[in-house]
Formats: sequence, C-alpha cells, structure tokens
Amino acid sequence: MPFNQKPQTFNAKINEVTIGSGEKAIKIGGENVFPLYSFDAPIENAPKVGVEITDMGFENACAGIKDYYAGCATIADMAKKASEMEGADFVALSLEGGDPNGENKSVEELVALVKEVAAAVDCPLVVEGSKNVEKDGELLTKVAEALQGKNAVVMPAKEENYKAVGAAAGLAYDQIVGCESAVDINLAKQLNVMTTKLGVKSESIIMNVGTATVGYGYEYVVSTMDRIKGAALSQDDAMLQMPIITPVSSETWGVKESVASEEDMPEWGPAEERGISMEVMTAAADLAAGSNAVILRHPQSVATISKMIKELV
Amino acid sequence: MAKFVIIGERISATAPSINKALAERDPEPILKRAKQQLDAGATYLDVNIGPAENDGEDIMKWAVQLLQGEFNNVPLALDTANKKAIEAGISVYNRSKGKPIVNSADAAGRIEYVDLAAANDAIVIALCNGEGIAKDNDERMMYCQTLLERGMEHGMDPADLWFDPLFLVTKGMQDKQMDILECIKMFSDMGLNSTGGLSNNSNGMPKHIRPIMDAAMVAMCMMQGLTSAIVNPNDLRLMETIKSCDVIKNNTLYADSYLEI
Repeated sequence: MPFNQKPQTFNAKINEVTIGSGEKAIKIGGENVFPLYSFDAPIENAPKVGVEITDMGFENACAGIKDYYAGCATIADMAKKASEMEGADFVALSLEGGDPNGENKSVEELVALVKEVAAAVDCPLVVEGSKNVEKDGELLTKVAEALQGKNAVVMPAKEENYKAVGAAAGLAYDQIVGCESAVDINLAKQLNVMTTKLGVKSESIIMNVGTATVGYGYEYVVSTMDRIKGAALSQDDAMLQMPIITPVSSETWGVKESVASEEDMPEWGPAEERGISMEVMTAAADLAAGSNAVILRHPQSVATISKMIKELV
Repeated sequence: MAKFVIIGERISATAPSINKALAERDPEPILKRAKQQLDAGATYLDVNIGPAENDGEDIMKWAVQLLQGEFNNVPLALDTANKKAIEAGISVYNRSKGKPIVNSADAAGRIEYVDLAAANDAIVIALCNGEGIAKDNDERMMYCQTLLERGMEHGMDPADLWFDPLFLVTKGMQDKQMDILECIKMFSDMGLNSTGGLSNNSNGMPKHIRPIMDAAMVAMCMMQGLTSAIVNPNDLRLMETIKSCDVIKNNTLYADSYLEI
C-alpha cells in the first residue's frame, strides 16, 4: 500500500505575538501544528533566539562570553554588542542585581539602566526581573513605564504579583506580559485566566512555563510543554494558546557540568565546551517541546540554535 | 479526548420571538440570543428555521451570514426540514471555525440528509430512528449501521456522523432511560461521535426541576461517552456540570477558574 501522509494540523493555533517595534520587531507563535512539525504545515513564525545580558556584567563568565564583550565599557555597550550577535533576534536584560538577598540595587538605578539599554539597541527587548516577587512588583512596574512605546516583554508576572506587573505592563503601558509558573500546567493556565481577567489582551501575554537544565528534572518541563501545546491545539484551549518563552542560560550556566573547572574534573574536558553543550542541548529540547523563544548567552550557542531553527523550519 | 461540544439550541423557530424575527429578517432578537449562548460557552449554534417551505433558502442564507458575520464565523448547525434551505445555508457558510452541521438525518424518510452532508463536506446528526421510536437498542444499532454505511458509501469520514440515540421523555418513558445510556456507550465503543436533544428527558417537568434532571443526565451521558449535546447553554447548572465532567474526563485542563471560562 502506498504511504499517504496525513498532515496533523489543527483548527486551533498558538497566538501570534509581536515583540518590539519598527523594522526589527519579531513575531512568535501563530502555528497550528506541534512544535517544529513543519512537515504537517508551514510554521507561521520560526522560533526566536534571544541573547541574555545582565546588570551584573559577565566578570565570572567563561572566556568565550567575556571575549565577545571585550571593550564594552557599559551594560548599554554590551546590549548593543549582544544585539549584533550572529543569530540574535532579541536582547534579554536580566536585572538580577535587584534581588534584595543579593546586590539589592535600587529600582531607580535599575530603571535608569533599562533606559540606557533600550536607547542602545534597535532590536526587541525582554526585561527579566530580580527573581524576588515583592521587588519585581515595584521594579517591573517602573520598567514597563520606562519602556513606553517599545512593546517590550516584561517578565515575570507570577501568581504573587501578576496584578501589579500585569496591570502596569499589559494595561497601563502596552508592553507584553511574561507570565511565569514553575512547571505546573494548572497554574500556567490559571495565571493566564487571571491575567486576562485583569483586562490584558491574550495577544499581549506570553508565558514561561518553567525551565530546567537537561538532566535536572527536565522531563517535567517537557511533559508540561507537551500537555500545554496539546491542550492549546487539540482542545482549542484559549487560555493556553499563548506562545512560550524559555530562559535557558540562567539555568544551564549554574549546574555543575557547566561550572566545575577542568582542574577539578579533568575527565570532563574543557568547562566552556561543557557549558555550551548544556545550553545548546537544553535549548534544542525546549524548542522541540514547545518553546517559541529561548534566551541564551554564549555566542556559539546562539549561532548553533539559530542554525538549527533555520534548518528545521 | 476532545472537549464536549455544546450546540446552543435557543435560536429556534419554535420560540415565537425568533419565529417572528426570522420572518421579518429582524437581526436584533437573533443576535441577542446568539450572544447570550456564546458568552455562556456554546461552541456551535443551532439555527432552527422551522419547516420554512416557502422562503427557507433566503432565510437560511440570511441567518448564516448574519450570525457568522457578527460572531467571527461561529460554526452553525443548520436545522430545518427544507433540504434546499440547508444547501443554501452551506453555500454561504464560512468553515474556518468548523464544518457546518446538517440537523438532521434519520434512517427512514430523512436518510438523504446524509447524502447532502457528504456532498457538502458537512457533519450530519444521524438520528437512530426509523418510523416511530425504536423499541430497543438492537433496533437503534441497526439504524446506526444503516446511517454509518450510507455515509461511508458517500465518502464521509465516520467522525462526521454524530449519532443521536433520541432522548426520550422521562415522564412517560422512565423505563427507557437506561437503554439510551447504554446506546451511547455502544456508539462510544465503536469510536463514534454522538449528540442529541438531551433536555427532552426532562420535558414536562416543573421548571425548577429541569436543570437538575438535565445536569444529572448529561453527567451520566458523558460517563457513557456522549461527545456533544444540543442544549440550552444559559442553563448554569447544566453548564457547570458539563465543565466539571470535561475536567474529570481530562478533556480540558483544570485551572481554579475553570467555571469562569
């Protein structure tokens, strides 16, 4: 019997969300097939790759990252350099220095930095908070205000602070709200329901449904993404049709495979190569499971993943 | 499994206000009922224009374009004894949100509605009934086979025949209710879709009882594998029951606010 391919397309589709403004604005989502299933139907918008920088700079990063940003005097310089990286679609600025349990930088200082970065780049911008829900409630509200007109992603809006972050970013200042839940499908959906009920348009919401490094409970991330895309497409669940953005590098560069030095672990080989491998493997798996955008750091990872996307989509 | 498909039954010529609106081509009462049903969670809207012997084609075209134009191509079930009116409705129907449903065929005088659905790539509600009410499930399943074969002969995907066991009124045919439930299980075991006018079971009961009876009935039917029903989506108790059953059946992902969406 001849093989008859039956394309598995759905009547439902993932929301298409535009990030940024002007010529370099990007679109994510829009597909009516499972992740990367371009053999079933054309993928409306290829997944996008973001380059992450942080307000803390890269003093402790590996040589490849440090070399790439050599000569940059300010974070804004680094942002510009990041936006020029081969394969970069957007820049993600992490404000980890705002964490009250760390550097505890002031909201004013960080907002000033966000403004400098926004002025330095012409590509779409994602701003990630301090990972402290209380601080972020205030910080991200001010960030959303400072970025008016940029159509930037402001994240994370979590269960504890979605009202403050969602209202500021999604309603008052017309940014994209990044809703974050920690590998919990029911909460992912609930957060989208609640954010939508605030009045935020579903086309202004993207979600981070949780992330991990491969080998670190990663199968939960895959099953979460699988279940979400399944519900979004086969069950036409409008509260799960938001595209998924996944910060990869902040996880993968912290695990022992990426951190342990070659002196300590000679049999593992050079640390930087391992770090890149962890970042690339995790990002590739995220994209196969359902991420519409991934956030990476190492230039080689960014180039590799963007090449992979081009080959597959 | 896919979510339970709710076909809203309230745009019907049996309601005097709708009958009048259809005759006078007055959009307002029709759009109002459509919006109420969609807001409450209906997926499909049934458009029952009655026998419509004279101007059925015009009425159906007008109603299809009115509803789809106003509500983002909402999918519709075209419900009339006038075959030409159904064809006319399909000719202007936008299927981006779902195929049209032909309501309905049976295994006797209305078997040609299966052919009509097949010729127009539509879904058909296939009432497992011949002349008069089937006496038992052997007879129902015989009609089911007849309708299924008819559809497949004409190239239909079996999933596009939605089998209707014909819900019977409890007050009067109480002893037949378990037969209906067993019949639904047989459809489900064959992998077939099913639907029906579920609230017929509570026909003639006091108004405050009907939602309770309908909710119990729908829960038992969903347990048996019913995939759709033609109901009043503005019956809150019924809708809460359907949404809860959809969660229990893993047809829809649970979230704390599941009743509000």
